[in-house]
Amino acid sequence: MLFRRLLSIILALASCCVCARGQDTLGVWGMLKDTVTLESASVTAKSKEQRLREGAYAVSAVGIKAQAATLQSLTQAIDRTSGIRIREEGGVGSDFDLSINGMSGNSVRYFLDGMPLDAKGSGMTLSNLPVNIIESVEIYKGVIPASFGSDALGGAINIITNRQSRNYIDFSCGAGSFHTYKADFSARYGSRKTGIVFKPVISANYSKNDYLMRGVKVRNEDHTAFVIKDLPRFHDDYLSLFAQMEAGVENRSWADAFFLSASVSKIDKELQTGANQANVIGMAERHTRSLNLSARYDKAGFLTEGLNAHFSASHTWDNSQTIDTTYRRYYWDGTYINGSYSEIRHRGKTLRLYERPLTVLRGNLDYRLAEGHNLGLNYQLNRMGNRQEDLWDEDFGKTDDVLAKHIIALSYEQSLMEGKLDNAFFVKDYINHLKVGQNELPSTTGASEVKDSDTKNYLGYGMGSRYIFSEPLAVKGSYEHSVRLPISREVLGNGSTVYPNVALQPEISDNFNLGFFGTVDLGGGHLLSYETNGFMRLVDNYIQATVMETEGMMQYVNVAAVHIKGVDGEVRYDWAGKLHLAMNASYDDSRDMREFTQAGQPSITYKNRTPNRPWTYCNAEAAYTFRNVGLKGSRLRLSCDYQWVHWFYLTWAAYGSASSKSKVPTQHITNASILYAWAQNRYNVSLECTNLFNVLAYDNYMLQKPGRGFYLKFRMFLQ
Amino acid sequence: METIRKILMMMAVVAVAMFSMAASCEKQPEPEPEPEVKEYNFDLYVCAVKHGGMSKNKNGTYVRSVPALTADQPRVEFTGKGIDITEDYTLESITRGKYYYQVPQKATGGFVKFHIERNASGEETIVEDAEVPFKTNVFDARKYTHAWIDDGATLVLIGTDAKHTSVFWTKLAESNLAVQSEGTFNFTLPENYGSFSTAGLLTYRKSDNKLFYFYMDKVKSGITDAATSVTHITVIDPATMNVESNTTVPGEIMEETAGSAYGELMQSMIVYDEADNMYVAGLRTIDGKEMGILRRIKAGSKTFDTTWNGFPNPEGKLLTIQYLGEGKALCYSRDEALGTKIDSKSHFYSIINLSDCSRQRVKYNGQDLQYCGGRFSQRSAVVGGKAYIGVGGETEGLEEATYPTIYIYDCKTGAVEKGVELSKGFCFDIIRAMEAK
Repeated sequence: MLFRRLLSIILALASCCVCARGQDTLGVWGMLKDTVTLESASVTAKSKEQRLREGAYAVSAVGIKAQAATLQSLTQAIDRTSGIRIREEGGVGSDFDLSINGMSGNSVRYFLDGMPLDAKGSGMTLSNLPVNIIESVEIYKGVIPASFGSDALGGAINIITNRQSRNYIDFSCGAGSFHTYKADFSARYGSRKTGIVFKPVISANYSKNDYLMRGVKVRNEDHTAFVIKDLPRFHDDYLSLFAQMEAGVENRSWADAFFLSASVSKIDKELQTGANQANVIGMAERHTRSLNLSARYDKAGFLTEGLNAHFSASHTWDNSQTIDTTYRRYYWDGTYINGSYSEIRHRGKTLRLYERPLTVLRGNLDYRLAEGHNLGLNYQLNRMGNRQEDLWDEDFGKTDDVLAKHIIALSYEQSLMEGKLDNAFFVKDYINHLKVGQNELPSTTGASEVKDSDTKNYLGYGMGSRYIFSEPLAVKGSYEHSVRLPISREVLGNGSTVYPNVALQPEISDNFNLGFFGTVDLGGGHLLSYETNGFMRLVDNYIQATVMETEGMMQYVNVAAVHIKGVDGEVRYDWAGKLHLAMNASYDDSRDMREFTQAGQPSITYKNRTPNRPWTYCNAEAAYTFRNVGLKGSRLRLSCDYQWVHWFYLTWAAYGSASSKSKVPTQHITNASILYAWAQNRYNVSLECTNLFNVLAYDNYMLQKPGRGFYLKFRMFLQ
Repeated sequence: METIRKILMMMAVVAVAMFSMAASCEKQPEPEPEPEVKEYNFDLYVCAVKHGGMSKNKNGTYVRSVPALTADQPRVEFTGKGIDITEDYTLESITRGKYYYQVPQKATGGFVKFHIERNASGEETIVEDAEVPFKTNVFDARKYTHAWIDDGATLVLIGTDAKHTSVFWTKLAESNLAVQSEGTFNFTLPENYGSFSTAGLLTYRKSDNKLFYFYMDKVKSGITDAATSVTHITVIDPATMNVESNTTVPGEIMEETAGSAYGELMQSMIVYDEADNMYVAGLRTIDGKEMGILRRIKAGSKTFDTTWNGFPNPEGKLLTIQYLGEGKALCYSRDEALGTKIDSKSHFYSIINLSDCSRQRVKYNGQDLQYCGGRFSQRSAVVGGKAYIGVGGETEGLEEATYPTIYIYDCKTGAVEKGVELSKGFCFDIIRAMEAK
C-alpha cells in the first residue's frame, strides 16, 4: 500500500514536471489530458496544447509529435483544425494558401519558434518543413500576442520545434504515389558537463507529381481537332532539400540557451500550370537557394531578477531564379506548338534572378512586476530586399526594392483570482518603409503610382481576457485593432505567377473573438471536450488575390472594406487513449461593405460575399488504437478523416448569371491511415491513403488536386 | 374581196402586234423583291469597375443579348445576369451573322466559333460550334487582324510573332474553321526599327478583290511615340496572298492607324461607302499631341488621297468610325482637353459628312449626347438603317449618375430618339448587332 502511494506521488510529481516542461507524455494525438490510471489513483496533467487553448487568446493548438509517424507534411495536420482552411494548387510542393477564420493566407504570419519562418528561406513552408523536428503548432486566431512582434491580421501560426533535453536520433523515410519520396533526419547530442549541444537536421522531399489530370483537352492524332482525355501531369517535378546545424550551450550561468545556427535550403520546381490548368506549361522552372545564419539567446533573470530576455538575430541570403525562355504552348499530352509569348508571363522570354536578402532582429523582455503581473517589451525588425535582374531580357533594367518593417510592442499581462481570470493588454507600433526600384509594367504593378521611397507609421492595440467558471465551462474574449503590412509576395510578386503591386496598402482590421470551452470528464477514461469561437473581423483595404483574366497571372489587390463574421467549433472525445473522435465545423460570412465606388456610384457588389474563398467547411476524424498487437508494447492505430468544403464562386455574385459563373465545386475528401508502432514507439510504419474515393477535387478554380494516393512511411526514434 | 383580205390582213397584223406586245410585256423583269428584313439580337457587353477592351478589363466582362434596343424595352439589368465570359473568351471578337470567331481566353491553342442563345431557364449561354487547334501559325488572344473573303466563306487572319518582327497569315474555312493555308510575309524592318505593329489592320475591298493590310514599322514594340512610326499600305492578292504593292505613307499624311495592336476585333476603324471608297481612321502628331485623322483611298486606288482629310481640326484622337450610308459616317472620338485616360469622360459621338468633311455632334432634343468613358469601347452599332449609340452613365459621381442609355439615330432622317436603358454600376463597352438566325 505504501509502495502504491509512493508510486502515485512520484507519478504525480513526474506529471507536474512534464506539464511544466510542456511535454505530452503519452503522445496520444489530440488528447486533451494525459491520463495515467493506477489501481487506486488517477493522475492527470493537461497537455501543453490544452493549456494553450485555455489561455486568454483565441488559439488552437495541434500536437504534432505523436502524428509525426504518419504525417506527410505539416499542412495535413493544420488543415484539419477548426477555422483553418488550406487551399493547395496541386501536389507535393505546390503553392498553397492558408486562411484562419476567413482571413486569407497572407494575412497569416508564420513563425518557427517565434522567428519568422521566412528566415529559413522563401522556399521553406509548412509543406516542406521536416515534420519530425516539430513538437506542436500554435494557431492564433485574429488576436496575436505582443511577444511575436507581428503585424498579422488574420492570425499567426507558430511552429514549436522539439526542445527536449535528452539526446536522440530521429529518422524517417517514405515513398508514395506519383513518384513521391521523402526522408528526414534530426538528432540532438549534448553534454551535460559542458552544456554544449549540437542539433543537426536534414530533410529531403521529391515528387514527380504525375497524378492524372482528368477531362483535359488535347489535339487528336492528326492535330485537326480537340479531344478530351485523362492524362498524367508531365512537368511538375519538385525537389526540396534542407539542412541545418544548430550548435550552442544550455544551462550556463550567463545563458539559459545560446545557439548559433546555419541552414541551407534548395528548392527546384518545375511549373506545370499558370493560375488555372488551361494554361499548360512544359518548360518553365523555378529554383530557390537560401542560406541562413542566426543566433538566439535566452536568459531568465537577465540583468535583474524577474527579467526574462530573449534575443535573436538572423540573416538570410535568398536567391531564386525563374526560367521562362520558351514560346511554346503545351497541351496536356506533352506536345506543343510554337507560340508567340512566354509560358508564365505571356510576354517576352525572361530568365529572371531574384535576390531577396532578409534580416530579422528580435528582442523580447518580460519583467515580472509582481506575482501574476508581467510587463513585456518586444521589438522586431524585418527587412527584405528585392533585387532583380534578367539574364535574357535585355530591356529589363535591374531593380532594387526594399521592404522594411519595425514593430514595437508593449504588453501587460495579469493573472487574478488564483488563475481563474487572465488578462492581457498590448499596444503595437508598426513602421513600414518601402523603397521601390522596379519600373517594369508600371500600369500593372502600380510602380508609377507610388513614391520611390516612403515610410509610414501605424498603431495597433488590443486585449484578451479569460475566465474559468469551472472545468466544463470557461469563457474568453479578445480584441485587436491590427495592421497587416503587405508581405513581399503581395507587393513584389513571386517572380513567376504573381505580379507585383507596389501600390498595395496595408490591411487594417478590428478583430473580435468570443469563445467558450470546457472539458467534461465522463469517468471511466471517457473525456469530452469542446471549444467554440465566434469572431468578427472588420477589415479595411482587405488584400485579396485575384486571377488576372489575361495571361493566367495573379495579383494581390485591395478591396476597400470587408466584414467577416463567423463561428467555428470543435468537439473531441477520447476514451482511454483508444478511441478518438473529433469533429469541427467552420462558417464565416465575409461581405464587401463598400457601399459606393470610388466614382461615387452605388457599388454593385455591396454586401456580396467575398468571392474565391471557401466559407463553410468541416472536418471529422475517427481513430482507434489497439495495443500489444503482435509485439508487446506495440501499438496499431487505424484512422480515417473526412473533409467537406462548400462550393464557392470565383467572382462576385453580382457579376453575371449564376449559370455562367465560374465556381469552385464542393469537395468531399476522405483519407485513411494505418500506423503500427513497436518497441515503445521507437519504430513506426504507416500506410496512408489520401483521397480514398478518388474524387475529382479542386481547392482553386480549374486546378485539379491529386486523386487517390498511397504513402508508406517508416520512422525510427532512438532516445 | 380584196378589201376583205386587206381588212383580214390588218386584223392579223394588229393581232400579232398585240400578241407580241403582250408577249413582250410578260418578258419584262419582275419588280425587285423587297430586301429581306433581317432580325437582330443586340449583344451588350459591360465590364465591372472599369472600362474594358484591349486587355484592360481586369474585373470581368458580362454579356446580355436582347431582341431590341428601343425605349419600350425593359431596362437591361446586369446585376446577377448575363454571361460571365471572363475566364473563357475575350470581349474582342470577329463576328459574322450570328456567330463569333476568336482566339479564346482559355488558351487552348486554337480558334473557336460560337454563338449566344438562351438556355431552358431563359439565361444567355454560349454554345460552341467549332474549335480547331492552330497548325503552324499561332495567334494570341486579341492580337490579330482579320478580313472575310470568298463572300464570307473564308476568314483571313494576320498576326505577328512574339517580338513582332515577323508577320504571318492563316486562312480558315468559315464553316468548320479548318485551316486552309498558312504563310509568312517577307516584310523587312528598316534600320533602327525594332518591330512591326502587333497586328496591324486588314481589310477586303470587294470592287477589285484586293486585301489591304496596314502595318507599321516601330522603333520598338509596345507603345511608342507615333511620330517615329512608319505606316505601310500593302495590297495583297487574296487568292495567293502575294503582296502586290507596299507603299510607305508619309508621316504628314498618317503616322499610325487609329489602332494597330488588336485589329478591328472590337473597334471599327476602316469603312467603305457605296462606291467602295475606303476610309481609314488614323492619327498624326500636332503640336506634340497625337490627333485623329481620317484618310480616304478612292475606289481603284492603292494609296491615300493626300488632299482629303475627313477629320479636320481634331479635338483629339479619332477612335472609331462606322458608315451610315449616303455619305455620312458616325465617329467616336476624344477631346484631349477633357482627359486622356481610358475612363476619362472625354469621348463623344459625331456625324461626319464625308462629302464636305464637316462634322456635328450627335444631339438628342437639341442637346449634345453626354461625354463617355471608354477609350476602347465600341458602344455603337449600325444596322437596318439605324445607328444604335450607347452612352455610358458608368463613371459619373453619385449626383449626376444616369443610367447608361442607347440613343437611336435614323440614318436617313438624322432624327435621334431615346432607346433602352441599362442598369447602373457597370461600364458599358460594346453593342454587337448579331443576326438572330
